[in-house]
Amino acid sequence: MRHSMTALGALALLAASTSLASAEDTIKLGASVQLTGPSANTGRYYRDAYQMMVDKINAAGGVKVGDKSYKLQLDILDNQSDVNLSVRQYVQLVSSDKVNFLLGPFASNFALNDSSVAEKYQVPMVQGGGASTEIYTRGYKYIFGTLPPADDYYASTIDMLQKLDPAPKTVALVAADDSFDVSVAKGTRKLLKEAGMTVAIDQAFRDGAGEFASILSQIKSAGVDAILWSGHETDALNFIRQMKSLNVDPKTFYSFTVGVPTADFRSALGGDANYAFGMTSWLPDESLKDKWYGDASQFAKAYSDKYGYQPDYHAASGAADLETFVYAIEKAGSLDPKAVRDAIAKSDFDSLYAHIKYGENGQIVLPQIVVQIQDGKLVPVYTDKILNKPQYPIPAWGKRG
Amino acid sequence: MLLAQILTNGVLLGGLYGLMALGMALVWGVLNIVNLAHGAMIMLGGYAVYYLFAGLGVDPFLALPIATLGMFVFGYLLQRFVLNLVVRSAMLNTLLITFGLNVVITYLAQLAFSADFRTINPGYAGSNIAVFGITVPLVNFAAFAIAIVLAGAIWLLLNKMPLGRAIRATSQNLIAARLYGVNPRQLYAVTFGIGAALAGAAGGLYGTIAHLTPYIGASLTAKSFVIAIIGGLSNPFGVILGGIFVGVAESLTALYFGPTYSDVISFGLLVVVLIVRPARALRTA
Amino acid sequence: MRPLPLAIAAVVVVLLVFVPWLASDVMMQFAIDALLLAVLAQAWNILGGFTGYVSFGNSVFYGLGTYGAAIAMAQFHLPFWVGILLGIVLAVLCALLIGIPILRLRGPYFAIATLGLAAAMGAIVSNLPIAGSNIGLVLPLIRADTMFYELSLGLLVLCTLTVLWVSKSRFGMGLVAIREDEDAAGTMGINTTVFKIVALVLSALFTAVAGSIHAYWISFIDPASAFDPTLNVRMVIMAVFGGPGTVFGPLVGSFILSAIYEYLASSISTAAALLFGIVIVLAVIFMPRGLANMIGGVRARGPRYFLQNIRENRL
Repeated sequence: MRHSMTALGALALLAASTSLASAEDTIKLGASVQLTGPSANTGRYYRDAYQMMVDKINAAGGVKVGDKSYKLQLDILDNQSDVNLSVRQYVQLVSSDKVNFLLGPFASNFALNDSSVAEKYQVPMVQGGGASTEIYTRGYKYIFGTLPPADDYYASTIDMLQKLDPAPKTVALVAADDSFDVSVAKGTRKLLKEAGMTVAIDQAFRDGAGEFASILSQIKSAGVDAILWSGHETDALNFIRQMKSLNVDPKTFYSFTVGVPTADFRSALGGDANYAFGMTSWLPDESLKDKWYGDASQFAKAYSDKYGYQPDYHAASGAADLETFVYAIEKAGSLDPKAVRDAIAKSDFDSLYAHIKYGENGQIVLPQIVVQIQDGKLVPVYTDKILNKPQYPIPAWGKRG
Repeated sequence: MLLAQILTNGVLLGGLYGLMALGMALVWGVLNIVNLAHGAMIMLGGYAVYYLFAGLGVDPFLALPIATLGMFVFGYLLQRFVLNLVVRSAMLNTLLITFGLNVVITYLAQLAFSADFRTINPGYAGSNIAVFGITVPLVNFAAFAIAIVLAGAIWLLLNKMPLGRAIRATSQNLIAARLYGVNPRQLYAVTFGIGAALAGAAGGLYGTIAHLTPYIGASLTAKSFVIAIIGGLSNPFGVILGGIFVGVAESLTALYFGPTYSDVISFGLLVVVLIVRPARALRTA
Repeated sequence: MRPLPLAIAAVVVVLLVFVPWLASDVMMQFAIDALLLAVLAQAWNILGGFTGYVSFGNSVFYGLGTYGAAIAMAQFHLPFWVGILLGIVLAVLCALLIGIPILRLRGPYFAIATLGLAAAMGAIVSNLPIAGSNIGLVLPLIRADTMFYELSLGLLVLCTLTVLWVSKSRFGMGLVAIREDEDAAGTMGINTTVFKIVALVLSALFTAVAGSIHAYWISFIDPASAFDPTLNVRMVIMAVFGGPGTVFGPLVGSFILSAIYEYLASSISTAAALLFGIVIVLAVIFMPRGLANMIGGVRARGPRYFLQNIRENRL
């Protein structure tokens, strides 16, 4: 009897040690992303970017911790664009799937909710999907982000406008009422004031409502010089379509926080997308050197070859989240969450997305590149100097070819 | 001038709202089914027109009748083989089953159409004319006109044609309907088919004005629902008027209070209408 | 109610109390969620099941409970129990205020009015600065799943005991009389207005506390999640699936549906929504009277039960 007990015990030990050994060879990264539901369109950037980076890093030999090599393993769940479900799935990832580290979902409201799981369990999360400043003002220690602060989205645009001729003086500020866009509007108001421009119309709209006829009619009757718009992509589509059908022509300029850099947006609008200004924190540029793909343009090429659509800054930001973990794990020389967290905080390296360095609060600071759609192509226009000549002032709808 | 423009926007938009609600009101009034998958059927109609236009190059307004016919068949089959199985159980059950159908249709739509944003964007999509200084978008105007025409057609059908009389009789009394020599199973399916066809037409027009994703259904169901109540279930023109009423109310709210209040107004209106005049709303066809 | 089911229920509750010492963290997440949903279904049952007033607006009370806790804790830094109280006060006031006009409406009129109220309330809150507008509020973070679990369990037991009492009391008979024939109930000397309002207030109270617990547990709330319209539908589905107007039907219904949904969402992930939709469609076709009827009814057994249902309800 006693022998059999010892044998059983030994067997159990053996089983435990083999499972330990196999667990030791991989580093598990977990994320709950919008693969179905209203946000699926942008959610896929994160799934695809995470997967691409993991495959590439594993093919290159994985991650070195001390003198041991680890393979990355990606655990992605579909939160169906449901915030409550996504919180539960992050808990599942941390506590039952035993992932080592967390990657983020898309969108500020999801990041706001999900980051509290990271903080609760003290597992570092690096997320590239939420830009709202609220995520970083709660004093959380385990959340880092690769999208620049929403407050500053319009900084480079307003900078550029002052150098253009004629510089706009009156502005209509139109922003959705969700976390991200309220942050944008708040920051933009301040920037406009500093630049000495007048906010002639300042309207919030209900996120996702898609109905702008009243706002547009007011803008038209106020005769503003420029429109600065902030919201989500479907609303941006509707805004442009309704601008055209109601013949709303600001005197010189209109710009959107989202949509303009994505291929989907341009193909949905066709010629009507032309002249629209926008912004992006990333362009697939050869100057962005990177350890895994060489540079950002090669990443973009590999990405569109594999998935059949162009990556935008969402994808690059997601890829940078993975690069951050690899960098930090190798720096820390351990998988201990606390050690890796500290190494992330001290990140200082070049990625295909940008130079990665997190601020005190955990959020990266990056300038937005002003872009414009010129003849159906996305053209970078301005960062702190003019890159390409903007088509400015934007011609009225009735006067286009 | 601004006010006139905003009233025009509201009226034109309201016409389309009314058309969206028309199919829901018909199905609700006659079959006593509150179809929570109505918005999803609007979405399907939108995609049908989109693919006819973007894939085969058919002009959206020519594609519209084709999509409408397709949605009729879809609705007919759905009622004949699924909804007829539960139509005599409690109203709550029909509500639940259409909720489930909505989930299923939306999911399959994402598989089939992907989550990409689509717009039906023919060359003339954004064109407009100025009437006394008021900008009138042509596609919105066409949508408005089509809504009125279809409401008229439904009115004629219900009031002047034998099929319509049979439909109305069925809504009051199943047994009496047999006197017309019509098989009620058939009749229910036809009625639901007409409802789906109207949803299809609304969807095609919606895609030409706004955008399509597989997920637009839920908010369109809610909107149709409100308008069907405010407009009443008895008269097609009442439904269109209900749509216009909501469209104008929303536009004025956006002007005077700000667009974030438009939902407060439309749902607030719904509650007020119900409390003040419950008998007018929900009177069946 | 015979003593046997009660004894079984008591044993189950005692066993459930000890779950936190055995369950994994994920299990706890699921359990807290399932318990809170069961409270919602059970609270809905008081009004929808017994009284026959089908509410699609209980998310109003849920949202008010959520915001009561959030406003007290995030804006005024008050303790949690004050937040619960504030949520209860808001929800009960709201129930009294809206109950008087809308409980005059019957049948579908009432259902639709509540639906409108739920949507309007979400839109109003998203315009209130004290409630964080449409951005939401961040509550203090606390890692105390055991506490949340026991609170939720306690709330569910309390709610179910209330329903048990309702099912046996004169008050409950009055509610059922209203469901069967409101005019006749009135002529029998039942003050229908008072009865209906009390039922609504009870329903609102439990729903609000569930909202408060959920708010503190999840630690971030916004109008979209607090006034989630699909939550209304889920309460109704769970209660109807289990058997409305019974004491244990809504509980069993909500546990089974929660388990199915959770299993699908975590194991199959992407097809979860599709399968959940199909389950609902099939459930309505084959067992339109709910689980309680299938198990406790004196009708045909086995496959014949399902066929009989279809025969009765098809055209």
